[in-house]
Amino acid sequence: MGLKFTFPSRFVSPLGFLGMLTFVIFIILGITGALLMLYYEPILDRAWDSVQNIDDTIPYGFHLRNIHYHASNAMVMVALLHMYYQYFSGRYKIRNEILWVTGIILGVLTILEAFTGYDIIFSERAELAISIAASLTNSIPILGPQMTEAFFGGGFHDFVLRFYAFHVFLLPIAMLGLMVVHFPRFLVFDIPMVMAITGAIMLTGGVFPVDMGLKFDPNVPPGITVPEWYLTGLYAFLRSAYDKFTTGVAWPGLFIFALLIVPFIDRYKKFSWKDRPIITAVGITSLAQIIVTTYWGFYIDPDRTKSLLERLVIDPVFLYLVMILLVPLSFGFTYMMIKLARNAEANAKVQPKKPTTKSSINLTEKWIYGIFIALLAFQVYLNIAAYYAVLSGMKNYSLFIIGIMMLVFAGMFHIFRHGKSMQKAPPPKPTLPPMPAKAKPASLAKTGQPEAPQIAAGTKELENSVAKENTLAPSAKGSSPSASSGSSASSGSSASSGSSASASSTSASSTSASTSVQSASKTESTGVQSQQKIVADEKK
Amino acid sequence: MAQQPSKSGGKVSRRDFMKLMAAAGTVMTFAVFADWGKFLPPPKQQSGERQMVELPDGSQANVNSFPVNHAEAVIFPKSDDPVLNKEAFRTWQFIRLPEELGGIKNDASAFRMYSMVCLHLWCLWKYWPEDGRKRGECPCHGSLYDPLTGKAFAGPASLQAPPSNVLPSLDLEITSDGNVWIKPPNWSPNGNGVVGFGRFLT
Repeated sequence: MGLKFTFPSRFVSPLGFLGMLTFVIFIILGITGALLMLYYEPILDRAWDSVQNIDDTIPYGFHLRNIHYHASNAMVMVALLHMYYQYFSGRYKIRNEILWVTGIILGVLTILEAFTGYDIIFSERAELAISIAASLTNSIPILGPQMTEAFFGGGFHDFVLRFYAFHVFLLPIAMLGLMVVHFPRFLVFDIPMVMAITGAIMLTGGVFPVDMGLKFDPNVPPGITVPEWYLTGLYAFLRSAYDKFTTGVAWPGLFIFALLIVPFIDRYKKFSWKDRPIITAVGITSLAQIIVTTYWGFYIDPDRTKSLLERLVIDPVFLYLVMILLVPLSFGFTYMMIKLARNAEANAKVQPKKPTTKSSINLTEKWIYGIFIALLAFQVYLNIAAYYAVLSGMKNYSLFIIGIMMLVFAGMFHIFRHGKSMQKAPPPKPTLPPMPAKAKPASLAKTGQPEAPQIAAGTKELENSVAKENTLAPSAKGSSPSASSGSSASSGSSASSGSSASASSTSASSTSASTSVQSASKTESTGVQSQQKIVADEKK
Repeated sequence: MAQQPSKSGGKVSRRDFMKLMAAAGTVMTFAVFADWGKFLPPPKQQSGERQMVELPDGSQANVNSFPVNHAEAVIFPKSDDPVLNKEAFRTWQFIRLPEELGGIKNDASAFRMYSMVCLHLWCLWKYWPEDGRKRGECPCHGSLYDPLTGKAFAGPASLQAPPSNVLPSLDLEITSDGNVWIKPPNWSPNGNGVVGFGRFLT
């Protein structure tokens, strides 16, 4: 399986980077976690003390712990956004089902991983979380108590040690194994994005440092606590004081199951969210319900004169009514959005076509150097500021500054890359309108009416660069855009080859064409077919 | 030659036979690991012997000296590790029932031993001997436990489905010298119960 890192030269949605960012955050968590392992002690009455040691005594322990905590939240958030992006753009279709299924399982494992993580701090909130997890497992019919004993053990000492084992090894190994299967065909990697998300995590760590919580003491009644935000929705259901198995195991299980089978029940042929109304409506409903239950899970009646139970319990009838009501509301909202989008499209089509000018910010060389030096000077200042902040004990401020430094580096790299590309290829002359990236290869193929010599030229390229391709039988009918992801990616890379072909010599264009053909060889043969035609057309 | 299992109608091909043997061999090789599942649950420390009821001051509880309508926290099962011993899951309330519930009698029926771990969210409850109370009360969310049976009769624990509304309980015996001993328990919801989970009332 070949790896191909691409940075699309045309604008593609930044949401496409979410998957890569999730993985990068996983790496950050791995590294910070490994370092934290040097000081954390997973033994019952030493756990909380060791975490406090990391926070207060160990140099930069505070920083590492904060990065670890906020990165865990970021990973869940980015994974969630990534999932919804794939969902609403229909990318799980056509040979991507296995990616979707492994993705959902990875999402569940991510949440479990984050959950076990904050449980082993063994503050009172952590202990409550453990107890809820154990009681939910116990509530599973027939096998519940056995499962609890087998996995969690019997007693707090076992819980802490085993949760630690799950968190540090078992779950990450399972996640890595799934990630191997979850690998997409086209990887994107963008250093500015990676640095930006790292910076955002550190910034948040500086502004909202994670606290220790109170050490768990079984004789002290715990205060009112809520789980982390990704489990607060589930917590709202638990607070309805209904049967534990139904609210805590069955509902989330049903939700996960529904997500898993999405690509198998989606029978729409098109990809856009506007062309799959019911699927989009279901997605919006799930989003609305998640948001409402998450907020509800956090909300606790502020009236302190009421008893604790009164303040905490959520009336199940009310809860379920709201959940049910959200369904028609979300469906209505979705249909309205689709209608609006279609109207906007129709209006846009009626408008006379303006020449597609590439709107880009073109900086002169002087400006690029100037900005670079300014940013560099800023970095020097930030370094000094961060160092002094640490010296004077303002740890969270120093983490904040380091986050800013990451963001500045992202900006620097971005400008550096822009400067490099400016040096290599001067912008094309405005008389030649560049081919818009949205052009469908099929329509091109149909209107282009390629003659025999052009196809022959294309096939020669293929035979040179590709080892074995079975179905190379040119079938004009088969060149429909079978996988829009495949064809859009191949059109993206072919467009890049196109733009470089216009600027550099023919030898460069042939190599770039062969690389684009190579990438096309990974898609289906019909995709190859359309690729052939693009290559043929480019050579005009 | 090994006999070929005859299917309805025809012989099994040699290839299929080889595949069958390979499958059987694989099953044979890995079937031995089925029992290794026992690795997961922690060992039960079934010593089979009874353990004495050790009061916080170190003495053994005795029917002649332990006051009526009184409770003490007891560690069970006692281990060599002082850290493990402090675990909430090893603390039990040793209760001598009040007079009206039969606490005067000099046999085991006057005593109860319940897990102190509340069935709701695992805080440690205590027995309160005052008039009007004489029940177990959990300080966290107000679950109340009947000292006679260990059943929650009020609060969130009482709303939970069985077995999670009855506290695990240990069986006691009293020797001729009046000392109180704990009989080896059966940790199952149908027996002495599971700490933090509950027990089925027979």
